[in-house]
Amino acid sequence: MTISTSIARWRGWPLSPATVRAVLGGHGILGLAFAAVIYLICLSGTLAVFAPDLEHWEQPRAPSVAAIGAEQLDRAIAAARRTTPSGTTLYVTLPTVAEPGAALVAYGPKLEREWTIDASGALVRKATPFTDFLLALHIALHLPRTWGEFLVGLAGVALLSSLVSGILAHPRIFKDAFHLRLGGSRRLQEADLHNRLGIWALPFHVVIALTGALLGLSTLIVGVLAMLLYRGDTAKVYAMFVEPPPPLNAAASPLPSLARLLAETQRRAPSAEPHQLTIERAGRTDARVTITSTRPRLLVPQDTTIFDAGGRVVKDQHPRDLVAGTKILGGIGQLHFGWYGGLPVRLAYGMLGVALCVLTSSGVTIWLARRRDKGRAVPLWERLWASVAWGQPLALVLAAVTGVASPGAGTVLLVWLVASLLLVAGAAALHWVAGSTIGHRLRIALAVGAVLLATLHVATVSLDPAAGLIDVILLAGGAWLALPRRQRAAT
Amino acid sequence: MIAGAAGLGLVGGLGGATLLRTVWTERARSSRWRVPVGWLVLTAAIVSDAVWVGPIKGLALGVAMVAIGALLVVARGRVRRVARPGRETSLAPEPFEGPSRGAWRGWVKALLAGPLGMTAAMALAFCYATWAPGDPRTRLIVAGLLVPFFWAVAMTWTLADHRLLRSVGMLVGTTVAGFALAAVKGLG
Repeated sequence: MTISTSIARWRGWPLSPATVRAVLGGHGILGLAFAAVIYLICLSGTLAVFAPDLEHWEQPRAPSVAAIGAEQLDRAIAAARRTTPSGTTLYVTLPTVAEPGAALVAYGPKLEREWTIDASGALVRKATPFTDFLLALHIALHLPRTWGEFLVGLAGVALLSSLVSGILAHPRIFKDAFHLRLGGSRRLQEADLHNRLGIWALPFHVVIALTGALLGLSTLIVGVLAMLLYRGDTAKVYAMFVEPPPPLNAAASPLPSLARLLAETQRRAPSAEPHQLTIERAGRTDARVTITSTRPRLLVPQDTTIFDAGGRVVKDQHPRDLVAGTKILGGIGQLHFGWYGGLPVRLAYGMLGVALCVLTSSGVTIWLARRRDKGRAVPLWERLWASVAWGQPLALVLAAVTGVASPGAGTVLLVWLVASLLLVAGAAALHWVAGSTIGHRLRIALAVGAVLLATLHVATVSLDPAAGLIDVILLAGGAWLALPRRQRAAT
Repeated sequence: MIAGAAGLGLVGGLGGATLLRTVWTERARSSRWRVPVGWLVLTAAIVSDAVWVGPIKGLALGVAMVAIGALLVVARGRVRRVARPGRETSLAPEPFEGPSRGAWRGWVKALLAGPLGMTAAMALAFCYATWAPGDPRTRLIVAGLLVPFFWAVAMTWTLADHRLLRSVGMLVGTTVAGFALAAVKGLG
């Protein structure tokens, strides 16, 4: 193809052909440098969208109430206080129509404990090791929190940059918007898939990358801003968004009746429904109870009423009182995880999450296929990428098997880590096996693993209909993965 | 309500993308009117969701469902071919793969796209946080969102630009000027 033909074909595109090629070069470098991390974060994030469903799948016998009375809440809080040290903050999440089930989290400097609350107010300890592992993997890759979050944030920026450069380097964005040619050369097939997924899901993927990057980088951003403006005092930055704690007074004082507080909250915002209670310093004179309430059309709770230990209202704010920044801050996490609208939203996020995983994987495959087409194949990298692209879902399935088989053993992370290392090391060592063969075998292993996981879950945990749906999906997915793929005439 | 809005977004995505596909794939000049109508259908589906279930909730749901609808149209129009080795070419651009000009350039580019890009992005964002009008909390949150965006743009630019000195000058200059201006003004 001559340059003049290229120019004619790219007429109307704001960048010159040379610039487009340079941007595409940078797109490739960035994609390759971060591919494995982005893929892992996208894969774990796609599954993390279904955290509420996975928690129920892991512990189907945990109570899931549609509504709960104030008396039962009082009982649950009293039970939690008996088993936690003084000064622990308690977070109670109330059931909604979209998300049934009441939960209680106790959080302190050296403690984090979660329960679900049954209809009588009794506490049932949460035992969802795989979901907990998955969320921690997505948020900080199981690294020390600050470093892990920074790495995830950096991967978010790299993904965002790849999305920007991918669009800039795509002069045929409209002409090829619907082309999906399968079965031809491997490179063109993957390029079609990569470009179609990248373009049509672009707004969604930009939102996910941007919010994810901000969530990951927030500690660093606040730290640098505090150094610049407040001599490193990050508390001054956080104080702009967080209510300051009441003055210390450790004298004993009973917690006010939640029935009265909930009634007062509803009186102040009749169209809002109480969603979460935060109880700080319970049993002391400086106690504080914060009740946040949701409205159906709002992304996050924006009605907040704060009570002191005597049950007096010390602060009451509603959507009209909040500045845009506070509203945006509250919505970032919800927009990122898709936990705001029940199952339909989670399914949509799940599908586009899978699209993002395929987008990442196909980007690497295009590079590998291009190298092979030009006679500069890199078999080691072909094997390694197969061990990541197919090996990570397999490692996650093995981790889930461990969680189901022995929920209390605390070995989910270890199993995932060992499986990941073995898969990568094995792929590197098996130099006589083609990358495509490794990919094929790992796909079959994943199919077997999915079926094994579903069978084990049904046999050991429960035949609960809602949780059983995930088992059905695992069985169907396993069968689909095991189906022979249509052979390509050429690679 | 959410399920209904999701369905509306999906139908809008399917309808709008089908209209666009007719023009862009078949290139029929007589049906050019379908392009604006296609975009209008896609936009209307997102706006309808926003009106139905709430501005942010609906917008996010609409964007996701329209994307799924459009991708279903792409999948429905897939073609399966038999490869002819050596005869398939792409009209898409190929990345620049010039001769290697030393590993040090790679390290400098990594430095530019990474730490220097980050500091320049923060400097610009903090400038916004300190100098823009409005409530300081809103300015701060918008600045927080601007950091990854500016950093991503800096990454894209520095990895594509072969003139390293220009990139270094631009990023260092932006960092120094941005942090200085932000420190002078403060959050107020």
